[in-house]
Amino acid sequence: MKKKLLSRKDILHLANLAGLTLTDKEITKYKTQLEKTIAYIENLNELSTDNVLPTSHVTFLKNVFFDDGKKNERGLNLKEIFQNTQNKKDNYFRVKKIF
Amino acid sequence: MLLGKSVTEILALIKNKKISSQEIIDYFLRRIEKYDQKLNAYVTVNKSSNLSKIKVPIAVKDNFCTCGIRTTASSKVLENFVPPYESTVTKRLIESYFFILGKTNMDAWAHGSSTETSDFGPTKNPWDLSRCSGGSSGGSAAAVSSYLAPVAIGSETAGSIRQPASWSGVIGLKPTYGRVSRYGLIAMASSFDCPGPLTLTTEDAAFILRIIAGKDEFDVTTAQNAVPDYVKSLRKKKKFVIGITEEYLNGIDEEIKEAFYQLLKILEKLGHQIKKINLLSPKYSISVYTIIQRAEVSSNLARYDGIRYGNDRTFFGSEAKRRIMLGTYVLSYGYYEAYYKKAQKVRTLIIEDFRKVFQEVDMILAPTTPITALRLGEFEKYPFFGEMMDVLNEPAAIAGICAISFPFGLTKKENLPIGLQLMGRWFEEENVLNLTYQIEKETDFLGVIKKGLKNYPD
Repeated sequence: MKKKLLSRKDILHLANLAGLTLTDKEITKYKTQLEKTIAYIENLNELSTDNVLPTSHVTFLKNVFFDDGKKNERGLNLKEIFQNTQNKKDNYFRVKKIF
Repeated sequence: MLLGKSVTEILALIKNKKISSQEIIDYFLRRIEKYDQKLNAYVTVNKSSNLSKIKVPIAVKDNFCTCGIRTTASSKVLENFVPPYESTVTKRLIESYFFILGKTNMDAWAHGSSTETSDFGPTKNPWDLSRCSGGSSGGSAAAVSSYLAPVAIGSETAGSIRQPASWSGVIGLKPTYGRVSRYGLIAMASSFDCPGPLTLTTEDAAFILRIIAGKDEFDVTTAQNAVPDYVKSLRKKKKFVIGITEEYLNGIDEEIKEAFYQLLKILEKLGHQIKKINLLSPKYSISVYTIIQRAEVSSNLARYDGIRYGNDRTFFGSEAKRRIMLGTYVLSYGYYEAYYKKAQKVRTLIIEDFRKVFQEVDMILAPTTPITALRLGEFEKYPFFGEMMDVLNEPAAIAGICAISFPFGLTKKENLPIGLQLMGRWFEEENVLNLTYQIEKETDFLGVIKKGLKNYPD
């Protein structure tokens, strides 16, 4: 099977989409490793999947809903919400400017 | 006197006032003090015991959120994260009989099969300190194997309970997907993740499953099916039809194969019927699993932005980044159909394959791993070696069926535990536990568990 090659540009594009910063060494390493992995997973093409539906769930559940008006016991209070952050001002998280 | 006692036995001792819960906890804290420096099974030990009722200690993998106890998933990203809420699994354990003795080491984010990708150092195999305990629930497996906890909780995406159980010589049960709630379990690949117990006896595995299993309104993927009394049903003398397949024996270490055939004879002697079956080659499961798992990883790890909790994304280790990259690739425009959707279609084929086979047999017997515990450092050499090592665990994980790994003998030269597994139909944990119990009663797992404990005296 023809090996699919990735360019450095491809790797940087993926890293950018995923919010990751990579060193030059990492770019080279992931490029080779991703190519190897992709070459392996091509074996799925040995199996015909015409007219096969993709799996969406493995244990046959249908339409699970949270009842209307039920008390949401999962909710956290403000103290709990902010207890693990250093980026807080009043009752807001501080983030970097986007605009 | 206490060494190797099961939870059931410890509870009886406490109820008969032979020993107090506090004394039991102190006993395990002393053992942790004595042995954990070299094993590194724990990331955090909980010394805050304040007991008002009967409690038995349990070790919990560090990807279950424990209210007020640091939870890191063995990643520097969550180095200082203290959850403000309790996972359903730990909540049910605490509300029944258990005290959380500590949080166990794992591959960071559960990414791996060796516990070497932990940002807090690898867990060593209690049978040979130069080897891996397996992973990703390697800390839980090592803690139980060396009796630094009587039982532990792990989580499995594909092999992360069964494989370390096999390499460390203990029992590991992966329940059916949706049997046990994932609420508060730090997500790796949400369509596979299953919490489950690692234990020294089948009875303890049944006992813990009964506590943690069942519908949870906070996890919509949990099933409505009633939770049977798994402990009680162990004692039924059931006879089963057990399937075996050549596909699961290709390339398997000779000594593991010998153990497999030895057990077959015993099962026949016990009155079970062995039947040859055909299953799809597990090599396709490696690909399906690699694609879907990495896709889910890349989306599940997107939430770690360092804003609301934890450190930012520069703290991700090498393995997490590698997985996020491939996951992003298979989900990206132009590749989604070729990889992700194709993998979900083959997943359907694998499920149908099992469904067909389970019309002929009740269970499937196979080795848990192709080889016994590897030396530290082997995994990092290859890009998806963990997935290759979990080749015999991935099919069951992909289909969501239940499976249990138990020890069955030691290799002759290296004296390392061999693990075999039983895979059962969806929600038939009762059957795989029942047969494992029969094997335990008949063979005592060839003495593996007792031999392992001898290396760690009080």
